[in-house]
Amino acid sequence: MSSLLRSLRTPRGFSAPAFLAYLAVIGLVALVPQFSRKPLILHMWIMVFLAIAQGSAWNIVGGYAGQYSVGHAAYFGIGAYTTMLLLELHQIAPWYGIGLSMLNAVLLSVVIGSITFRLRGPYFVLASISMAEIIRLAALHFKDLTRGAEGILLNGIPPLETPWFTVKFLGKVPFFYTSLGLAVIVISVTWFVQHSKLGYTFQAIREDQDAAHSLGINPTLHKNLALMLSAAFTAAAGSLFALYVRFIDPNIAFGIDVSVQMVLICIIGGIGTILGPVVGSVVLVLLSESLRNPKWLVQAGLLADSSPTVAFIEARLSNAHVLFYGVLVVVVVLFAPEGFLGLLRTAVARVKKRLAAKPTPPSQPAAAA
Amino acid sequence: MSAFLEIKNVSKRFGGLAANSDVSFDVGLGEIVGLIGPNGAGKTTLFNCITGFYAPTSGDVLFKGVRINGLQPDAVCRLGMVRTWQKVRPLAKMTVLDNVMVGALVRTHSLRVARQVAQEQLRVVRLDHKSHFLAGSLPIGERKKLEVGRVLATKPELLLLDEVMGGLNQAESEEIILLILELKKLGLTQVVIEHDMKAIMRLSDRLVVLNSGEKLAEGSPTQVATNKDVITAYLGEAVDA
Repeated sequence: MSSLLRSLRTPRGFSAPAFLAYLAVIGLVALVPQFSRKPLILHMWIMVFLAIAQGSAWNIVGGYAGQYSVGHAAYFGIGAYTTMLLLELHQIAPWYGIGLSMLNAVLLSVVIGSITFRLRGPYFVLASISMAEIIRLAALHFKDLTRGAEGILLNGIPPLETPWFTVKFLGKVPFFYTSLGLAVIVISVTWFVQHSKLGYTFQAIREDQDAAHSLGINPTLHKNLALMLSAAFTAAAGSLFALYVRFIDPNIAFGIDVSVQMVLICIIGGIGTILGPVVGSVVLVLLSESLRNPKWLVQAGLLADSSPTVAFIEARLSNAHVLFYGVLVVVVVLFAPEGFLGLLRTAVARVKKRLAAKPTPPSQPAAAA
Repeated sequence: MSAFLEIKNVSKRFGGLAANSDVSFDVGLGEIVGLIGPNGAGKTTLFNCITGFYAPTSGDVLFKGVRINGLQPDAVCRLGMVRTWQKVRPLAKMTVLDNVMVGALVRTHSLRVARQVAQEQLRVVRLDHKSHFLAGSLPIGERKKLEVGRVLATKPELLLLDEVMGGLNQAESEEIILLILELKKLGLTQVVIEHDMKAIMRLSDRLVVLNSGEKLAEGSPTQVATNKDVITAYLGEAVDA
């Protein structure tokens, strides 16, 4: 155990206080359903957790390895469809289904990666979009397997029976904990990626693929590894989403807005950082869900039930979240290219500098950032 | 024993353009070979052919007796041959230390070991005081040093330096020259592309001159400097009075 801990400790790596803070935050969030079981509030949390899982998964290949895939709906959708079809057609319980859907997504990522990673930059982006579109159109067309545009409606989820307890997937609380668990797993995986040889390799490829290649890194292999990891967790998020919403069709599961949202989460929060997707998810989900379903603000006690704001949003802005996304992206790209997290970091650095400038005697040299 | 690096009749054609045609020379263990020639002579193309970025159209490259054309650059690097880039390629958003660690990680899976190797190499190229700066923030002189430090961290046996002194002032060039000579003393074989004639004459045990993709001359610095063809290539034909 101690040797494991030692191997985790690197100068910018494992720090006990940060780890304890992480555990404390998870513990606090896990207590939420004990205090409030208002469905719209829990719904918000679940959507945030699923967004964190998707954003962090995308971040592995997009943020660390620098391959801006705008086709991650392919993995999200394949995860959703695999789990749903296995459950509806073959009565295979979703906890096996999620595992199989991750496997399926990894296989798909190998195929898509081996085609698209021959391209770089904007050409890769376009190829990744077209791959997801091909799969979406295939899902619409092959009705025998996917039921096409009709979609798949879930009748019920069998209870999960373990020797110790039984979980019935009724209401929102079980989904709160499963999606929280998934978010925690993906954040932890990202942490391990960043603090391992793999993370250095991915970032070297992001910064300069030819330089990385000349320094003994196989770019094709490592881009595919990043994509496989990313695809597996995107599929897990897709599976959970499908089980939670209980209905999918090709546009919900494979639509381009699914892909775009994953990218936006990272751009807005801070690309290539562990906490960026967390921040981005909170911002984006709050924004989009508030516009789509402002009633949660009432349940949260922020607005009165009769508030004219709710009526206004419902009447005028219910589909305007895409517009707000657009404005938000422009603002972030112009004024905070490193995302909200970058903004926060520069603000903290500025405050520290100002605090340090006053009391410190001039003899102390300024430390390098 | 065969030569450390053998280049045998290497040609590289891009469509109708012959960037290298039928170039052959050897590099012995522990030697510094200077590769010179006017702009567009095919020096960098030859480096690309040797390190696996291009596959030669014809001819063979043998490193330590093993035929390596067709190998990818990462495999060539693991075999112990690594190149620097004429146009420096810092991993801009990573720190100087992380840049060098990327090189060191070819030989180890442990970040701790890689960090130690990287710190050593940063001391060798005298960049250790900047190890926590972002590589993108360095001025050109230090970027060149970083480039050298990073390839040294891969523990190479043969180093290909592509104009590491380009764009440097005299003091900085002098530092690099001393570094190259120091590395030679440690037994590192090097092939150096350089435009600074004074520097290359001082460094090289042997010179190879390329012109229009062909080998024009080969020999000791003094032999090459007095070679008639070389003078013609650089200065043009003498006009008979």
